[in-house]
Amino acid sequence: MENKESTFTMKEAWKRNARAWKIWNGLCPRVFSSKFLSSMLKAISPYVTIYFSARIIGELAGDKNSGELLKWILLELFCFAGIAFLHSILKRWSDYEMDNAYNMNTRPYMEKMLSLDYSDIDRQYVFDLYSQIMQNQQYTGWGIVKTLDIFESAVTSLIQILGGIVLSFSLFIRKVPDGSDLEFLNKPVCIAAIHMLMLLIAAIAPMCTNQSGRYWSKWAPEARFGNRCFMFYGFMSSDRKRAADLRMYQQQEKVCKVYLNRNTLFGIKSGISRYARGPMGLWAALGQSLSVLLIGVVYLFVCMKAAGGAFGIGSVTQYVGAITQLFLGISALLEVAGNMRENGEFLKLCYEFLDLPNKMYQGSLTTEKRADRQYCVEFRDVSFQYPGSKIWVLRHINMKFKVGSRLAVVGRNGSGKTTFIKLLCRLYDPTEGQILLNGIDIRKYKYDDYINLFSVVFQDFKLLSLPIAENVAGAAAYDKSRVLECLKMAGFEEKLNAMPRGTETYLYKDLDENGVEISGGEAQKIAIARALYKDAPFMILDEPTAALDPIAEAEIYSKFNAIAGDKTAVYISHRLSSCRFCDEIAVFEQGHIVQQGAHEELLAEKDGKYAELWHAQAEYYE
Amino acid sequence: MEEKRKIQKPKYNMWQNTGFMLRNAWETNKSVIFLCIALAVITASRTIAELFITPVILHKLETEVPVLELVQVIIILSLILLILSGLKAYIDTNTLFGRIGVRMKLVEQIGNKLAETSYPNILDTEFIKTEEKARRAVSSNDRAAEHIWAIWTDIITDVLGFFFYLMLLSNLNPLLAGVVMVTTAVGYLINKRINEWGYRHKEEEAAYDKSLGYIQDTATGREYAKDIRIFGLKGWLDDLWHSTIKLYQAFLARREKVYLWANVVDILLTLLRNGIAYAYLFSMVLTEDMSASQFLLYFTAVSGFTQWVTGILNQFSILHKESLELTVIREFLEWPEPFSFENAQPLQKAEKYEIRLEQVSFRYPHTDKDTIRGIDLTIHPGEKLAVVGLNGAGKTTLIKLICGFLDPTQGRVLLNGIDIRTYNRRDYYALFSAVFQDFSVLEANVAENVAQQTKEIDEKRVWGVLGQAGLTDKIRALPDGIYTRIGRKVFEDGVELSGGETQRLMLARALYKDGAILTLDEPTAALDPIAENDIYMKYHEMSAGKTSLFISHRLASTRFCDRILFLENGRIAEEGTHEKLLSQGGGYAGLFEIQSRYYKEGGAHDGE
Repeated sequence: MENKESTFTMKEAWKRNARAWKIWNGLCPRVFSSKFLSSMLKAISPYVTIYFSARIIGELAGDKNSGELLKWILLELFCFAGIAFLHSILKRWSDYEMDNAYNMNTRPYMEKMLSLDYSDIDRQYVFDLYSQIMQNQQYTGWGIVKTLDIFESAVTSLIQILGGIVLSFSLFIRKVPDGSDLEFLNKPVCIAAIHMLMLLIAAIAPMCTNQSGRYWSKWAPEARFGNRCFMFYGFMSSDRKRAADLRMYQQQEKVCKVYLNRNTLFGIKSGISRYARGPMGLWAALGQSLSVLLIGVVYLFVCMKAAGGAFGIGSVTQYVGAITQLFLGISALLEVAGNMRENGEFLKLCYEFLDLPNKMYQGSLTTEKRADRQYCVEFRDVSFQYPGSKIWVLRHINMKFKVGSRLAVVGRNGSGKTTFIKLLCRLYDPTEGQILLNGIDIRKYKYDDYINLFSVVFQDFKLLSLPIAENVAGAAAYDKSRVLECLKMAGFEEKLNAMPRGTETYLYKDLDENGVEISGGEAQKIAIARALYKDAPFMILDEPTAALDPIAEAEIYSKFNAIAGDKTAVYISHRLSSCRFCDEIAVFEQGHIVQQGAHEELLAEKDGKYAELWHAQAEYYE
Repeated sequence: MEEKRKIQKPKYNMWQNTGFMLRNAWETNKSVIFLCIALAVITASRTIAELFITPVILHKLETEVPVLELVQVIIILSLILLILSGLKAYIDTNTLFGRIGVRMKLVEQIGNKLAETSYPNILDTEFIKTEEKARRAVSSNDRAAEHIWAIWTDIITDVLGFFFYLMLLSNLNPLLAGVVMVTTAVGYLINKRINEWGYRHKEEEAAYDKSLGYIQDTATGREYAKDIRIFGLKGWLDDLWHSTIKLYQAFLARREKVYLWANVVDILLTLLRNGIAYAYLFSMVLTEDMSASQFLLYFTAVSGFTQWVTGILNQFSILHKESLELTVIREFLEWPEPFSFENAQPLQKAEKYEIRLEQVSFRYPHTDKDTIRGIDLTIHPGEKLAVVGLNGAGKTTLIKLICGFLDPTQGRVLLNGIDIRTYNRRDYYALFSAVFQDFSVLEANVAENVAQQTKEIDEKRVWGVLGQAGLTDKIRALPDGIYTRIGRKVFEDGVELSGGETQRLMLARALYKDGAILTLDEPTAALDPIAENDIYMKYHEMSAGKTSLFISHRLASTRFCDRILFLENGRIAEEGTHEKLLSQGGGYAGLFEIQSRYYKEGGAHDGE
């Protein structure tokens, strides 16, 4: 921690925070004007009281002229009420802007995540970075969101300082009359010394408080682990899916409790609590005591001057009040600076994420919308390693898709089937070799244009907790008759008719209490309908029947041809029975295509991988 | 829901709930209680000292005491304030941890209750709703289970301050104290009424929050990224985000407009109160020649008194609200248990276990159809039983009845002739080695996942069962072998296993437990044909000497079982060996035919 702190300057910290302000200015610019005005009034209002009270006290201690007194009392009452009224209007405005800003605060991350290269999203590093940013924001409030508080505190403290200077300025000008014992208070040396003393205390007090706060960051790495541990083991039993195992294996008793008790994240035995009883608490106490000491010094100086006859009692309250406010402002400003610095550390992570580059090359060619769907894709000696890995997941893959054909892709777990699909849809680019579309490297096409050629039902496809129709269309606006048609073709019609609001029915209960829970097979049908709705020239189904019972599986099989229509179709499955209705089969083994051809052909190769896979399953059915 | 709650009187009032928290603190961290009291006394003392410091000094100035005395007074007063402030800061820094400790204990208790409660409870939506509420009540520093200490500290502070200021003001004129109390109380009540707007509309706000959270999670979730790109879902998410933000903005604008009235009321009442106070003090100045320092003291005391009164009213109102949350926690922890646990007779170990289902029917709550209907079944010791059927035939429910997760709505489940309800249910669970469709993989190392404990792990046995599950090579290749951690939620260096590998790990875990009855529910769904075959081949070895239950809709898997139960609509429709069922030509045979069609010559085009 110590090292890190010295590696970036206040200027750097300022730059980072300023960049966050710029982000806010883009998202919701009015948050600044509203915050500025309301903070200003908030800072001014104590001075109104200080000023008028001083006049009243002065009058009381002096002539006690009832007319004057009444005038000041009325002025104080109404000015105070007036300012309070103005402040509350501005405060309501700024509360509105603030809440609105908080609602928008994850927007930049969301946009970034949506526009990242898929290969980056898949990286553990990116995922961890993002989780860490979110964790920081959630548990401690640090990050981009913090800069709004920083802005508010900065404005408030600056105006507080300014007001304090204005109201206390005359303290140093008004002199103790000549001949008084306390005349020495007029001497510049004395005034300078007092200034120095006050500034010193004002600077040291927040330093002590910061020193105390620093133990939090010192303890942060330990806490992060503790937090993760607690978030998992403290809440594990809330996961319904774990209920059976929890009971069968007594996980709570034998594992969860052990991990929870081993982890003294908080509580009086934790590291941070030991700090708090020791140096952390003492620094905090010292900081607070010093702030009080400052007030004592102010009293001493002001009262001595008053005793010397420099000014009346009324002014005493004004000066004491104003200087107290002034130094509160200075402490607050120093705290702001400390916070900006601290926040700089957290912002660095935020920008690291937001500045992730898009490395995928994108060309400018458009994929001409061919009515005849004559899109020919070819893999030419394609090899692939996942970023950061040395393992060849795919090696020397050559493959040409015949337009309108049915291809089955089979192979063992981990043989590269799904990766092959990811390359085909350009979620990843090959490490070596080329993929061509109609003879041209796919990287030369516009990315969105190219990806538009594919409809994929991934093994781990996701539907959103929104209306069925929107899910099928993948958009808020949709063509209802086409949605119905696609759902029908996917075999969802029967279930749909049983739904209260038809295609308007929400899926799941996340966003609508009347949403419907659907089984894995039903979800799959909607996913297929979505793929149909997109009507892309390539249709890819990845393990669509794993969760289905034999009848449902047979239903998908029998519909496959209708679903695929005139499209080029790829079907990945563990159930080799599916190969029977495909024109061609590609057998993957450890990243290679070891066999390719029609079912009978491949089965004829007795020692081939395909025969092995086939018989492993088929023998039970013979 | 809200309506109902209002009519129902909460089970515990705020005094009882305070007692509950005090008992918890007494058991976990006694210091929490003492720190609250100490902090309250110090805070009140400091505020009182602050009240006096200016008037006392002004008085000294007014009466023109010698400079030395003036200096002395200032130093003494500052020192008092300094010590009190230092103490307050020190205690403030230290209150947090004990309080969190008490809250964590409650989190743990909730977790324990949920993990160990009778299984049917977790199917009860009321129970789940109560759990969610209880979880929320312990979810952060500002929720009831921790915040209550801050409230009580404030209440004690406010009450101390209140009585002190009351004495001070009553000394001057009890009526003045009365005016302050009345205006403050009126303001408080009106404000409360206005601010209830937020409470009344909290469901609307929660809906927007939920929506935004959902969009955020979806847009940033790795698991959604592929579909978002392939289907161009960004525009959809954007539209949804913008429309939600718009609705939210309109909501906020409405809210702030309402809240402005609360401010206006406050300002007017403050104006009234201060006006009366000034008028009274002004008259005192004219008639009784009140000094400037006294004027200041009393005027400051008036606004201070207001704050104490507001504080007390506010804190009690919050306490009342949070007491409802605490009631929920207690209701959850005290939720009745339909199963018997430690209070029942322990299950004596036996050589052999025979499980018999006697006319067992089961109906899930709030449904109008039995899922299991009148099943009679005896599972003999050492028997290998397969349960097959379509999705929804009742396979999983039957297994849950056999495993003792559910009790029959009619009929009995007997273990060696005795109703399992008479036993400690946990002892009963100990008989089973099970792999269910939904797993609970621990964020812990491989060995802990296999052994399901953290101490006294038999390493050799771990490797043995990993071998049986076909994971030896995979685990050997991991950086720390069986001490490699799994999952990345807790350990940043954890590895993630694929679906197939996880399934094998779960199998290894079941084997390590070595229960008398092996239960496998669809254990091969995520495996490739060769791996699946591999498990089938080893099944005999794995289940040697055990009773075993194998549930699957892959009919191939049932060939190596002694007896197959074919379930249809909650009944055992057919029963026997594979050959017997095939020759019967019933539902089983039909299903087998559909599945095997594609594996047979010439079957490719039948289905089209």
